[in-house]
Amino acid sequence: MRATPADRTQTTSTIYLICALAWFLPGAGHVWLGRRQKGIVFLIAITLMFAFGLWLQGRLFPFEISQPLVALMAVADIGVGLPYFVARTAGIGAGEVVAITYEYGNTFIIAAGLLNMLVVLDAFDIAKGRK
Amino acid sequence: MVIFSLFVSVVFAVLTRDEPMEQIKFGARLFGGFVGAGILMGWLLYPLPL
Repeated sequence: MRATPADRTQTTSTIYLICALAWFLPGAGHVWLGRRQKGIVFLIAITLMFAFGLWLQGRLFPFEISQPLVALMAVADIGVGLPYFVARTAGIGAGEVVAITYEYGNTFIIAAGLLNMLVVLDAFDIAKGRK
Repeated sequence: MVIFSLFVSVVFAVLTRDEPMEQIKFGARLFGGFVGAGILMGWLLYPLPL
């Protein structure tokens, strides 16, 4: 892909703003940096993956320090950004433990959050001028 | 498993490659690897008791 004017190195505050935006809305950081096609693919793929997880009766885990694994899963869930808060607000994501697809749903939701974290790191590298 | 592999392959391919043709090739290879490894693991675990 050809270098665009947005590929130039950003100031530190702008970099953090880009990372925050990239986390909040999957792919938004790449769109900001002029990599629109990548950003749109991330937005569609990660949001769909998260929605698929919810549809499969996956659960949005609460942040409980007393249960370290649950807390880690909650961190991964929050990694997806805006879709997480929309689902929480809408009361979706209670999870149906007895559903046969429950664990599959959890896997989709957690993987979507972790993939978005990778996308944020990629946006950080681009903003730093490393890519 | 196939749908999961598809989503992960798409994101990884777009993340790690810049040219569209390279993204398609790498994504297809990744997708095939995920599905193939899943099937292989399934058969390897098949004889084991639950």
